[in-house]
Formats: sequence, structure tokens, C-alpha cells
Amino acid sequence: MALLEVRDLCVTIGSLQPLDRVTFSVDKGSILGLVGESGSGKSLTAMALMGLLPLLGGRVSQGSVRFDGTELVGLDSERYRALRGRRIALITQNPMTSLDPIQRVGAQIDQVGILHRGLTAADARARSIELLTQLRIPDAATVHGQYPHQMSGGMKQRVVIAMALAGDPELIIADEPTTALDVTIQAQIIQILVDLVRQRGLALLLITHDMSVVAQACDQVLVLYAGRIAESNTVEAIFAQALHPYTQALIACIPRSGQASGSLRGITGIVPSVASYAGGCRYHPRCSLAQARCQTEVPATQVHNTHRIACHVATAGAAHG
Amino acid sequence: MADAPVSTNSNPPPLVQTRGLTRVFQSRAGLFAKQRRLAAVSDVDLDIPRGRVTGVVGESGCGKSTLARLVLRLLDASSGSVHFDGTDLASLRPAGLRALRRRMQMVFQDPYSSIDPRYSVHDAVLEPLRVQGLALDEAANRAKVESLMAMVGLNPVLANTYPHQLSGGQKQRVGIARALALQPDFLVLDEPTASLDVSIQAQIIALLEQLQADLGLTYLFISHDLGLVRYFCHRIVVMYLGRVVEILPDPTATPRHPYTQALMQSTFEPDPRRRRTVTLLHGEIADAFNLPAGCAYAARCPGATQRCRSERPKLIHPDGIEQGHSLACHHPLGS
Amino acid sequence: MSRWKNSALGRTVRTWRGGLSLAVLVLIAMAALFAPWVAPYPYDIQNLSATNKDPSLAHWLGTDEFGRDVLSRIIYGARTSLTVALTAICGSVTLGMCLGAAAGYFGGLFDRAVTAVVDLTWSFPEVLIALIFVAILGAGLYSTIVAISIAYLAQFARLTRAQILTLKSETYVEAAVNLGSGHGHILFRHLLPNAITPVIVAGMLATGDAIILEATLGFFGLGVQPPKPSWGAMMSSGSAQIFLAPWTILGPGLAIAIAVVCINLFGDALIDALDIRHRVRDH
Repeated sequence: MALLEVRDLCVTIGSLQPLDRVTFSVDKGSILGLVGESGSGKSLTAMALMGLLPLLGGRVSQGSVRFDGTELVGLDSERYRALRGRRIALITQNPMTSLDPIQRVGAQIDQVGILHRGLTAADARARSIELLTQLRIPDAATVHGQYPHQMSGGMKQRVVIAMALAGDPELIIADEPTTALDVTIQAQIIQILVDLVRQRGLALLLITHDMSVVAQACDQVLVLYAGRIAESNTVEAIFAQALHPYTQALIACIPRSGQASGSLRGITGIVPSVASYAGGCRYHPRCSLAQARCQTEVPATQVHNTHRIACHVATAGAAHG
Repeated sequence: MADAPVSTNSNPPPLVQTRGLTRVFQSRAGLFAKQRRLAAVSDVDLDIPRGRVTGVVGESGCGKSTLARLVLRLLDASSGSVHFDGTDLASLRPAGLRALRRRMQMVFQDPYSSIDPRYSVHDAVLEPLRVQGLALDEAANRAKVESLMAMVGLNPVLANTYPHQLSGGQKQRVGIARALALQPDFLVLDEPTASLDVSIQAQIIALLEQLQADLGLTYLFISHDLGLVRYFCHRIVVMYLGRVVEILPDPTATPRHPYTQALMQSTFEPDPRRRRTVTLLHGEIADAFNLPAGCAYAARCPGATQRCRSERPKLIHPDGIEQGHSLACHHPLGS
Repeated sequence: MSRWKNSALGRTVRTWRGGLSLAVLVLIAMAALFAPWVAPYPYDIQNLSATNKDPSLAHWLGTDEFGRDVLSRIIYGARTSLTVALTAICGSVTLGMCLGAAAGYFGGLFDRAVTAVVDLTWSFPEVLIALIFVAILGAGLYSTIVAISIAYLAQFARLTRAQILTLKSETYVEAAVNLGSGHGHILFRHLLPNAITPVIVAGMLATGDAIILEATLGFFGLGVQPPKPSWGAMMSSGSAQIFLAPWTILGPGLAIAIAVVCINLFGDALIDALDIRHRVRDH
């Protein structure tokens, strides 16, 4: 049984339904990449999993989220809080804002150990320094006593990862953990996360807009568009034989090594906002293969082994070209 | 061959040449604080050939945005020179500079703030012409604006809309239309797609490619994305903490500088069969305010020696490497 | 038409606060403008046999100590108050914006000099500054206007300067430089239009203060000289017979209160309307 199983998750905020029937699962020791552009609902998914939707005035209107057999939807806040930070950890996008600027970073990591693992202050401190060293922060003991403003973006993000790890979680949800960082630091952090998953058997839900990060790090891929699954499959299958027009187009948007100039094609149209999602298949206004039924009929999700796809034009499991 | 001194006779001379270009920022000394000195750009010799796309790639703090502004004289250099088509920019008086600006324009990074929110698309695209005294009567202006909008793929019906009504991609197209209005020869593109979604980014790059081919423009393309730079540019300049560390004569050239190598390694391919091996670096980026003696990259470089820490390598063309490829390293890779 | 309706002003007018207060202000302004036709009596006709009369059908707000109709004097007094306040604030805003914009834009020694002077005046209460200038220039309409104008200068100069400093670093300003724009183009086509909104709102609210300041000066006999009516002066002379003929002080007092409250309400509604606009902007 997968560690995390999400089935037909629907999220509503007010009168809008930004997420519609999202389904996926994450196993221990594996990495699922949740890919989407802005407004696709990927951050909302993370918030839903962590039970933080009320902060946005939203709620899960339908569907189930099972973590290690326990149903999270409708779970009382006491038990949810016991899970959050301890067994499920969230790494957010902007380390600049997730660290308290007037507290030393070491103390912030220690707090997690004290709160969630019942460690003594001394033990928590030792553990924090050990974590920072594992994350390849030089001179971890000194860094432990520093304030966030004394550190670079890459260091801060590693501190945030250390905070996530301090509770010894089984599942990490990383929401665009490297977007604001320099490219070389990004590569380091992605590599660190991959190593953690392999070495400790963690499950990682990696949320990103960058397909090349997905290709580098993930085992499974879920492509989200306008709150709905476009396609999901293993990473090899998605890149070798993506069938959904959006997936294909998204991959084609990133220049490959040695790609001939003049061959890069974007996707016409604009990323829709939640208030202006199209009827029928939400991707049809931008799709080069759209037919008449795409405008009116919502495509049903077809499942074939590891492949899920919601498209009128493509068939699940069919070989590509 | 390393970027040669100002006048060459063999090839058509580069459109833009910089020599020893340096820009230092200094904070004022406070009551309790020492004066801090930041060398944003140091000693940059750069040739930008006509009709080609020259890419400048580097991470935060490398000075690429400062370089962009120095090349257009939106910032004055602390020392060194910039020559545009043979004219020394520093020697120009305001009137001369103004006239020259018609030939060199910039596309800014942030489409959200590069257009005055009170200006409609029509006003914004017309502004370059107004400022340069080239605006005509209403009908002619409208026609000109419409043709520019068509050139960048904007529906002319949007002429009377305001920036806040447009998407990021549309705003950036307006920025490009403004840059083209004066029919320049040279465009500096400062991370023009950094804040856009991937699908829109590809649209804009495709547009820029087409414009470059159709109008024979010279581009200076600034980006942190090496993959994009390798796709789009004919020639690649790699910067680190204000200095040029390597110049690649074409995107397929093998990098020889450890930093360029690290950048390559960090630039992932959209293909799981071609995963990179990421060697985890030691050390952190040197503090730009307190640059060490010697090579600025030595602190993070796996191959750094004592010589690297004490003696700063010069940008040269080493023997045995192809033409046009220069680098600043004591121990180039593969040697 | 829809641009007007959707503009901040249009939306302000459609709220209760904004629309009602604007209506009252327009009423006052119309009354002041058409005073000779609206006022039942001229403001200076004395009738010493009918002094301090209670309100009646002939005199809706009674008469004052010289037998003059209080209502008419209030209506003519509106002319004084509105003229002085509006002129003074307009002058103050204009001069303040020029100084503040120049200081913020050009910086350097000029900026430091202007800031020093402005900060100095900022530390004095407006009443004191106005009194000083009236003392220098003598009492009367024009000196009142000048004095009030100078009293509020600091506020607008500081506000404009702060706005300009922030806006100077906007990318579209850099873009304008890139096009070869001169200082004039940047200041008048980009910086000032974007800086003007908070200054206008501040100016509007200051108008209310200016009316009170004018009344204060008038109360001490330093404003417009008799027999021209001024609400402040009316309150001053009315205070002598407050128990005998309360309308002589209550009338002008209420007029001041209504005018200032309406100005403030309208200004508040305008601020809200502008705020929503900024929040609704999609990014």
C-alpha cells in the first residue's frame, strides 16, 4: 500500500472549484513530481494535504486523502496537528518568509525536535547540527547560532529542509523548493533531496513548474492543468511517450541540449485563471488537437497500468507514434 | 582568440565593444559602519558581433544586469570604455547620447513594472517615438502602433487596454514592441522571460528568434538559464562575481572552466535518460563585498590550488583550444 | 463613459458616504457662488431696532448684534471660507509638489536644503505658522490665504518627495531614460502623474483643516476684515451674547462643522475607492 493515497480530491474556495478529482499516490522511497504552471492548483494540493485549506478560506469538498491508512479528510485538528511536522513535513517555496527573522536558525530547527520528538534542548541541538552537516552546510555549529539575514538563499533553504527533517517525517511535501535559488544551488538541493529519499526511504512529493527538474529527480510524474489531471505516468513513460497534448507541449517548451534554433514552440494562449476556466476540457482553448466534443464534454480519466490520462483525443496505454 | 584590442581589420568590427569595463558601488561610511565597496563588474572586455546573439550567463551577483546597463549607458562606468559602432559612449553629450539611443534599446526583465500603469498600450508603444520627436499625426501614429503590435503578435484590439488588464506574456510583448519602435540595431534583453510561465517563455523566445532573423538585429541576451542560452545564443559569455570567466564561441563548445562545468551540470535536461551527476560543491559563494585575492571561484572549486587562491587568472585564449574560446583559469579542464 | 464610472471618483460618488457628502458640499458651494440670489438679505444691512432676534419666518436664523440676518451672513461667509481654504490649499499643493518633486528627483544639496526647511516648518503647528505670517503681512483676505498656504506647505512637500523617491526606482522610469527621455518628460509624464493621487487626497482633507484655520484666524480678528462676514469672526462676536442669542454662534459653528465633516467623509470615501482599485488589480 502506498504511503500516501489521494483519490478524487476536490477543493472549493467560495464558489470556485480550483481542484477537480485529483488522484495520485506516493510510495516510500520514491519521488512523485507534481508539475503545473501557475494557477494549476499544485500549491493548493500541498495545502490540502497538510490540512491548511482553512487558512485560504477553502475546504476539501470531495475525495479522500489516506496517509498510512489514516483518512486525513475530516480529521480533527488535534490529530492533524500531531501528524503535521512530525510524520508529514512541508517545505515551502520561499525560505525568505518561512524563517523567523528574529530567531536564530538553530533554535528554529531545535524547536521541531523538542516539539515533535520530545527531545531535550541539548539533544535537539546536537541533532540539528548533525542535520545541517548532512545537508553539507560547512561549519554547522557556527551556522546554528546565526540569524537568517546572515545567510544566503541557498543556506536558508537548507535550513528549512533541516526543519522539515528534524521531525523525522515519512513524507515530505516540497512546494517549489528551489524556485528562488541560483541554478547551482538548486542542483545541490535537488540532489540532497534525492539522496535523502534513497537513503532513508522517505516519500517525496516534489511540486514544481520545471519539467527538467522532474526528469532529473522523479520516479513518477503527475501533470496538472487548471486544477485537473492531464496525465500521469512513470517518468520514463511520460518523457518517452507522453500522449496528452499539454504534456507534450510542456516538454517541448524546454530547450534540449543541441536543439536546433528556431524550433522552440510555446503553447498559444494564456494560462487561465480560476475564475475563467473553459467548459468541457479545460485545455481545449490552447490545444492544437481540439475537436468539437472537447469544448463541451469533460474528458473522463482513463487508467491503464501506471498511465492515467484525461483526454478525448488520446488513449491510455497507446504507443506513441 | 581572446577579444582583441579596439580596432580589427579582418572581420566586420563588432557592433559593441567594451574594454576594461568596471563599475564599483560604494556605500557611505556611517558612524559605526565602514565604507563598503562592491565591484559589480570588473575589467570586462567584451565584443558583441553584429547580427548575432551573444549570451551572458551567470548567477546572482555575477554582474550581468549591471553589465547590461553599462553597455547602454543607463549606468556610468567607474572605469573602462564602451564603444558602440566605433563611438565611445562616455564621450557623448546628452544630445548625442539621446540620438544614439535610437539604435540601442532594452527589453526589461519584469513586465509588471516596466510599463507605466497609467499608460495604455497605445501610449506605451508610441512613447519612444514621442520622446525622440518622431511622432506624427494621430492617424499615422495609430497605424505605426498597430504595425508594431502585429510584429510582436499582439491583437491590435488591445491598443486601448492598460497593463493591469494584460497577462505577463502580453505585457512582455508590449515591452518588445516598445524596444522595436525606434528601429534599433541592438537590443539588450535582460532576462526577458524569467518571470513568465514556461509555455509563455517559449512563445516569447520564439518571437525573439523570429524578429532577430527578420530584422537582422544584434542581441545581448542575459539569463541565468544556461539551457536557454545554449539554445538561443551564438556566443556565450560566462560571468562570475563581476568577471568574465569563460567565453564559448558556440553553444556546442566544451566548457573548460570549472564554474561553467558546474553550471552545465546544474542545468537539467528534460529527459530522464540524460540525468546529470551533480557533484556537491563545498564552500559558499564568496562575499561580493570582500572578494578574496586570487580567483573568486577558488572557494568552491574542487580543483583549486594555492596558486588559484593567491593569483587571479587572466582571461586568455589558451593553446590547443578552438578559436574564439577564452577562459580565465589556471587549471582548465581537460588540459 | 464607463471609464468615468469605473474611476475612483465615480465609485466614490456611488457610496452613501461619498455621494451624500459630495452633494452637501456642492450645495454649499452653489449657495456661496450664487449668494446674492440665494441669501434673503445682503450681509451688511444693519437694523438696530431688531438686534439679537430669535429665529423667525423673516429671519430663519435670527439676527445678530447689529440686526443683520444671520443666515445671509452665513451664506456669504461660506464664500470667504471656501475661497480662502481652496485657494490656499491649491497654492500649497502646487508649491509643495514642485518643491518636493524637485528635491526628490534631483537629490543632492538642493534636496537636503529643502528637506531641512520643510522639516523645520513641519515641527511647528499650522496655527502658529499662520499667525506668524499674518503678523508679518497684516490681517486681511490675501495675507490669510498666503499664511494658510505656507502653513500646509510642509505636508505636501514631504508627501510628494517620498512618492517621487519611491517611484524613481520603478522600472518604467528606467525604461523612459532608455528611450532618451529628458528630466522634464520623466517628471511630468511619469513621476508626477503617478505621485499625484495621495497628494490630492491629502489636499482634500487639508481643505477641511484650512477652513478651521481660517475660522480660527477670523475668531481672533486676524482674517477677513468686517463687514465682510467670516464664520470665525461671527463666532467670535457671537460668543459675547451666547446666552442672549445662541444662534449667532451656533449658526456659523454648525456651518463649519457640516462643511468640514463632509469634506472628511468625502476624502475617506475617496481613499477607500482608490484602495479597492489597487487591490483588485490582477497580476
